[in-house]
Amino acid sequence: MAGIIDWLDERMGARALARRVANPDIPGGPRLQYVFGAVLVYLFLQEVVLGVLLALYYSPSTATAWASTAYIQDQVTAGWFLRGLHLHTSSAMVVLVVLHFVQVVWTGAYRRPRELIWWSGVLMGMIVLGFSMSGYLLPWDQNAYWGTQVRTGILGSLPGGEPLKTLAQGGGELGNLTVTRFYAIHVFLLPLATALLLAVHLIALRKHGVTPPARLDEAARAQTKPYWPYQRVLDVGAMAVTGAALIAMTVYTHGAQLYAPADPTTAFVARPEWNFLFLYQLVKFFEGPLQIVATAIIPGAVTAALFALPLLDRAPDRSPRRRIWVLAFVGAVMAGVVALTAIAIVDDAGNEKYQKAHEAALQDAARARALAAEGVPALAATVVWENDPDFKVRALFKEHCATCHTIEGKGGQEAPSFDGYSERRWLFDLVRDPTAKRFFGGTKEHNAMEPLPASDVSDEDLWATVEYLYSLRGDAKDIDDAKASRGKALWDDTLECNGCHELERKAEGAAPTLAGRGTLEWIQRVIADSSAPDLFADAAEMPKYKDKLSEDEIAALAQFIVEQGAPASTSEEDATP
Amino acid sequence: MSDRDREPQPPSDDAGAGGPEDPSRRRALAIGVSVLGGGLVVAPLVPALGFVGFPLRGAVTSAGGDFIAAGSRAQFGPTIPIKVDLYADRRDAWAVERQVKIGSCWVLERDGELKAFSTVCPHLGCAIEYDEEASAFRCPCHRSEFDLDGTPVEGPSPRGLDTLEVKQDAGLVAIRYQRFRQGVGEKVEA
Repeated sequence: MAGIIDWLDERMGARALARRVANPDIPGGPRLQYVFGAVLVYLFLQEVVLGVLLALYYSPSTATAWASTAYIQDQVTAGWFLRGLHLHTSSAMVVLVVLHFVQVVWTGAYRRPRELIWWSGVLMGMIVLGFSMSGYLLPWDQNAYWGTQVRTGILGSLPGGEPLKTLAQGGGELGNLTVTRFYAIHVFLLPLATALLLAVHLIALRKHGVTPPARLDEAARAQTKPYWPYQRVLDVGAMAVTGAALIAMTVYTHGAQLYAPADPTTAFVARPEWNFLFLYQLVKFFEGPLQIVATAIIPGAVTAALFALPLLDRAPDRSPRRRIWVLAFVGAVMAGVVALTAIAIVDDAGNEKYQKAHEAALQDAARARALAAEGVPALAATVVWENDPDFKVRALFKEHCATCHTIEGKGGQEAPSFDGYSERRWLFDLVRDPTAKRFFGGTKEHNAMEPLPASDVSDEDLWATVEYLYSLRGDAKDIDDAKASRGKALWDDTLECNGCHELERKAEGAAPTLAGRGTLEWIQRVIADSSAPDLFADAAEMPKYKDKLSEDEIAALAQFIVEQGAPASTSEEDATP
Repeated sequence: MSDRDREPQPPSDDAGAGGPEDPSRRRALAIGVSVLGGGLVVAPLVPALGFVGFPLRGAVTSAGGDFIAAGSRAQFGPTIPIKVDLYADRRDAWAVERQVKIGSCWVLERDGELKAFSTVCPHLGCAIEYDEEASAFRCPCHRSEFDLDGTPVEGPSPRGLDTLEVKQDAGLVAIRYQRFRQGVGEKVEA
């Protein structure tokens, strides 16, 4: 270790740098009351480390924030501990900010020439509350949701606050953009702002040194010692005590609470984090149009007074006796905060209704988290394909048709396949052998139509017949007229198909009429009710869908089935394998 | 720390440096600072390591494992492999996705027996395609080629296509979807 330090010292003057930056003299010697700032820096760094760790598992969206937090809390090794420590450390920071603030006000350390230290400190104190407020939302549990609802509501109720509220929430209501915004603020903006302000704070502090006691007599002056190691040991000792207390507190409380997932449709008795209870209580005192007194005027006035403190304090020296009014003002504010917090706590303790609601909320939380152990159902981004109308009609087909009909090689074989449906090739194969599995081989009562082998009708004659049948659809534009008229002659004079099949629309026969057969409209009618007298009549096997599906659904299915024939061949040459 | 003791004290603008220094006291304080400071770092470090290393303790994502219905036996023939998508629940950290496509396989009949090849290339995990013209399986990433038995013919794949377990019952086929380690000669479940 010493070797490494020597090496660095030789090359960059590490020791001189360390002395210059971090080893000022402490006038009057080290004191316990100087430790608060150092402890705050330590707590901030601990929060940064814990925050980075939590970010390894946390996922900021309304669908995943609660689920990932429950995962951290109940599944990941030591997750409950690190999350709890993160929360308790943030509470400790609020406490330390107050102690640091009281010490600084008492010693008058805000006075010229230390205004920058004071202003950066006040801002950082507010940022600590900002961390608390933004982090509060991130678990997206009931408490987070309803607590934030109230806060953004307050923001919106201020004059001109509505656009601010929309901006903060990322929209008119709490949602995905609220989570991502608060997350970005919590993990990027506030830490960055803290780092910058802390730099100003420490550089200015290094310039002016620790504020010595108001009256430094010769005896006290003789006690002056360098920071290292005398004040440092007090600082580190205080950090260690704080750190140990936080670990003990985290273990004792088993970390932080996680309520049931945020549900905008249920009631929840929300309470702010303890460090905002005073404002919550204050708001209760001011009703209706006076609410702004509690939400903006009083907090705003106090904040403004704090910022102006170095300018307002004109006392000739830092002696507390000469600054009675400053101490009285700050003391009154602190007493007010403590009193309001106490009232809020006592109120709730005696509020049976609140106690009951809270008990129920805890039960909900336990139940929800036990269920989360099985995984929180989620949708992968690939479900976006389900928006595709093609997906919807396929889903319909799968549900209602695929048990008997085949498309793309998949499905049942109890009814004709739709691959190449009603195209010439399909018709050719059907007429050759309707008893094939691909056609009516699997359909129970459909055995009336007999195969027509090549020994009876040549391929050439059958293609001609198919061309004629195809022309009967009425919607085909690529008919080979010569071939079709030869087919018509065969149909009329040679073949015996017309014994069962009629050729006029709506004509009733022993088998479906072939006029318009295979068209969109025809398929729609078959889906709706295939037992119509001009369709399959008594031989109909298919369920009637006119009562099961809407007209739009039937139309979509019919269109889908028509398309199964579309890419297939349009002429004999292409069609013949 | 002994070096520091010998160095002159930095000048102070506020007050003179304090009384006589006691090196052994300074040393004791320095050790105290180191011990306490070390404790501050180590105490949260132990749980933090467990936290970060959580995915090493067991599968965070999981899917399949059981036999999944893959359709009727009749649709599969000996010459052209048919791609079958397998659907099951998938667990991914906190989330569970119900009945999503967890993988695919190529199914065909070889020597009267039904074979299912995982579409995951044993080399580096790209999706294997079937090349109809060549009657061969190909990986589009690194040009591995496999014949219809899944045997590697060309390219960098260290082993043949991974077969998946196939079960048949009353004309229906079920396939057990698994993933295997990539880039090694032996087929070992991942």
